[in-house]
Amino acid sequence: MNPTPAILAENLVKRYPVFRGFRDLVRRPFEKRTTTALDGLDLRVEPGRVFCLLGPNGAGKTTLIKILATLVLPDGGRASVAGHDVERHPGPVKNAVGFAINDERSFYWRLTGRQNLEFFGALYGLRGPAREHRIDEVLRLTRLGAAADLRFNSYSTGMRQMLAFARALLADASILLVDEPTRSLDPQAADRIGSFLRGELVEGRGKTVFWATHDLAEAAEFAHEIAVIGRGRIRLQGTVASLTGEGRTSLRQVYEKAVGDPPVSR
Amino acid sequence: MSGGSRTMTLLPGRLSAFLRRDFREALTYKFSFVSSFVGILLSSATFYFVAKLVPPGTPSLEPFGGDYFSFAVVGVAFSSLLGMFQEGLSAVVRSAQVSGTLEALLVTPASIPTVLFGSSLYSLILQVFRTVLHLGVALAFFGMTLGRVNVPGVLSIGVLTVLCFLGVGILSASFILVYKTGNPFGWILGTVSGLLGGVVFPVALLPPWIRWVSSLLPVTYALDGMRKSLLASAGLAEVLPDIAALAVFNIILLPASLLAFRLAVRKAKKDGTLSHF
Repeated sequence: MNPTPAILAENLVKRYPVFRGFRDLVRRPFEKRTTTALDGLDLRVEPGRVFCLLGPNGAGKTTLIKILATLVLPDGGRASVAGHDVERHPGPVKNAVGFAINDERSFYWRLTGRQNLEFFGALYGLRGPAREHRIDEVLRLTRLGAAADLRFNSYSTGMRQMLAFARALLADASILLVDEPTRSLDPQAADRIGSFLRGELVEGRGKTVFWATHDLAEAAEFAHEIAVIGRGRIRLQGTVASLTGEGRTSLRQVYEKAVGDPPVSR
Repeated sequence: MSGGSRTMTLLPGRLSAFLRRDFREALTYKFSFVSSFVGILLSSATFYFVAKLVPPGTPSLEPFGGDYFSFAVVGVAFSSLLGMFQEGLSAVVRSAQVSGTLEALLVTPASIPTVLFGSSLYSLILQVFRTVLHLGVALAFFGMTLGRVNVPGVLSIGVLTVLCFLGVGILSASFILVYKTGNPFGWILGTVSGLLGGVVFPVALLPPWIRWVSSLLPVTYALDGMRKSLLASAGLAEVLPDIAALAVFNIILLPASLLAFRLAVRKAKKDGTLSHF
């Protein structure tokens, strides 16, 4: 086992404050109400693989990704990325991680794809010819070269998702966080993205892809390893083959059992 | 290279990237500059005709050179500039929250202060340009008269005022990060300053029972010192009280605003609401 995991979470806890109306605030001003998103989550992801985090809506997938991307602070436990603690050393974490935000609103629509990448490249500390070279490289990798000088608002949904990958790859980070990247894509486009993540990035370049999804089929097809999260904890983790008993049971049955069951050790 | 010195080395490139981004976006909105210029012309024309109602030698205008048009143009031009410094930072936070770009900016290694200042830099520079243009239009087309300009006074007051209003801007941005809308700093200072800060009429015209509120507003000292330095040929010694008052505001506001901002970022990250709107 590699001594430094790509991602490590130990007893990770996250609770969000519950929105309260004015009447409630006046009646009970000092009461704190929270909802638990992560409830003592433990997870270890080894480098150089596609790791799919499966779980139903509200299970805590996005919260975990946002903690790993330093956008949300945990309330308990600890998480580290490439050996850097997300709370104490967010700077090195940001250099180690590329977060492919799948919200198309996270781009500047009136700028071209290349202009968007030039801007974000500068924020990642890239300058001059090195930045231009890197932009050309990620555009080639994501097959957006021909559309690079078109305005972002003319891109299709699939192209926008690929530009999100291009942006996340600008800094050549070793770990890519992706949150439901195939949502709202047609099956062919979703398949291309799965092949890109596993073939180009992981097998071709040795990166780690941490992929949150609730699509069992794409997880079964592209993941080296999966974990199922339910009610804020990892319910099971392993390869698809090991979890399904080499195909004796379906991934769906395993998933449904896991989401309803208490945690199972690895 | 240490993390801090690397950040400083990268800062000019990052700030210029923000400027280039906003300039490129502005170029796609072809008529915004034209409408801004027309707005300046109309504002100057309005005060030019209002000034005809105010006879020369009005006692309350004497400390500022005696001409109401020049008094009003300096007030309006500089209060717009200060308003931008006061509101600009919170406006970019709000805009990035609503447009959806905030998370994408915050996952980069650029620090949050760099993102905040960089995002508002273009608007701030544009507003400085508009202020100069406003004064230029008033001088060239409407007969505004300057006194013997006290350059050290203008620079001292200008720098202290900008820092002071940046402090208010950082407080506003902190509020927006946590509470999203309803920024009280911008509202209170913007509205109250417009009425009581001497923007379009001298503070001396206010009834004594409310005049004390003016003395609590940084805009009062900023405009008083700027007008005396630009219009009334006042020396550095004559604007020293304004400089001292602005320095006191800075000593209080800058550390307080930086602390508030740090706490606001932490709270937004704790609550998971950094990019909510």
